[in-house]
Amino acid sequence: MQHFLNDRQKARFSEFRDFVSLNVQPFAEKWDREQKIPDAVVSKLAKSGYLGPSLPTEYGGQGWDVVTFGLLNEALGRGSSSLTGVLTVQSMVSMALLRWGTEDQKRKWLPPLARGEIIGAFALTEPGAGSAIQSLVTGFRQSSKNGSLILNGSKRWITCAQRAEVFLVFGKLEQDSVACLVPKGTPGLQVEPIHDLMGFRSAGLAQVTFSNVEVPPANIVGKPGFALSHIAPVGLQYGRISTACSGLGLLRGCFEESISYAAERKIAARTVGDIGMIRSLIARMGIDLEAGSFLCHNACRSEQDHVPEAFEKTLSAKHFTSRAAVRAASDAVQIRGASGCHESSPVSRYYRDAKIMEIIEGTTQVHEDILGKIFVGQASKLRR
Amino acid sequence: MTSVTTAAESGIKEAVKRFILSSVNIPDLGDDDNLFETGIVNSLFAVQLMTFVEKTFAIEVEMDDLDIENFKSLNATVAFVSRKNGHRVA
Repeated sequence: MQHFLNDRQKARFSEFRDFVSLNVQPFAEKWDREQKIPDAVVSKLAKSGYLGPSLPTEYGGQGWDVVTFGLLNEALGRGSSSLTGVLTVQSMVSMALLRWGTEDQKRKWLPPLARGEIIGAFALTEPGAGSAIQSLVTGFRQSSKNGSLILNGSKRWITCAQRAEVFLVFGKLEQDSVACLVPKGTPGLQVEPIHDLMGFRSAGLAQVTFSNVEVPPANIVGKPGFALSHIAPVGLQYGRISTACSGLGLLRGCFEESISYAAERKIAARTVGDIGMIRSLIARMGIDLEAGSFLCHNACRSEQDHVPEAFEKTLSAKHFTSRAAVRAASDAVQIRGASGCHESSPVSRYYRDAKIMEIIEGTTQVHEDILGKIFVGQASKLRR
Repeated sequence: MTSVTTAAESGIKEAVKRFILSSVNIPDLGDDDNLFETGIVNSLFAVQLMTFVEKTFAIEVEMDDLDIENFKSLNATVAFVSRKNGHRVA
């Protein structure tokens, strides 16, 4: 895919990879074991401008194009899916706010988000509402005080909620979907960490509960009635681009670890890479890597060009790279043998993280259902 | 609204209709068919339609424009785009 990048994008990708080699890869297993990402590395992300890559410079962001955003996610995903999760949700909150926030909201929240002074979390998923977001039961009711709303409900599997200082929360006011910002420390807000996940172990997931939380009018984002149809999709689109590219990075990690091992590991007078069946596994990984790169690049370009097809291109990229990552991680463990099964090997972590990729930001099956409908709907083009 | 009359509005209508018919598997679309209530499109299509009109007609859908009345039908969408572009709607 490198030849599709301009010189600036190539230089930034090289910078991102250097950052990950130095600050992420050597420590990712430790973070995984401890189920926590140190504040220091999040500060390094922030200082490098990596927590506001897509926000305009007028709000303190980097103003980078979507392809560069994808490259950043790919580079981080090569090192740690959990760490990439910080960027994923930061972008989901930031970009939804950039698109639908009031000017006052943007001036107040976007600069600290762009500089990484605060971390956001996207509070959409509920115990009974995952991919079926229309089933939300988190509810708002009118307060007797000057236009405020009262929020009650519970969100689960919220990435980065353990360190978030502001939550973009989705719920319903009678039949209307509503989005609002709830800062950490608001009375009635409770965050309960979720530990011992199979993968994404250091991504700081939590259950978030709202008990009679007062939401002032200044914190309501967009118009009531459009939170699920227009506000959430902006965040989810960036979340899927991030996850698709992070999955590509994980796939690249599997590929690089596997070719390196295959070239070096001796079996009698031969190397692992001399075994035809091993070469076959590596070949499939390499082909998936190439195909995934094209799909991710196409998704990022479509979003950059603001075309309606960006939605399906992004679903396709996320679907492909997450499934390919699962295959590649399984094969990478297989190639390594016993050492690949130990926690000291990155492929062991990749194996666990890859499966999560197939679930977050919409499961493989839900995306197939949506894409299938879209593709069948396009049959009318053939009749013209 | 029952009719649009200017050449510009006819062009808008043709483009929007072509986009919708290329995205959903229906044989034709009436000017006032309610896109969402009749299930011609689903809620996921709302953002795609919005993106299409923004990209094609160089307008920006703002928060105050978020009103189902603006996108409920072909005629409603044409009227909305025309208003944003400053065209007259009959």
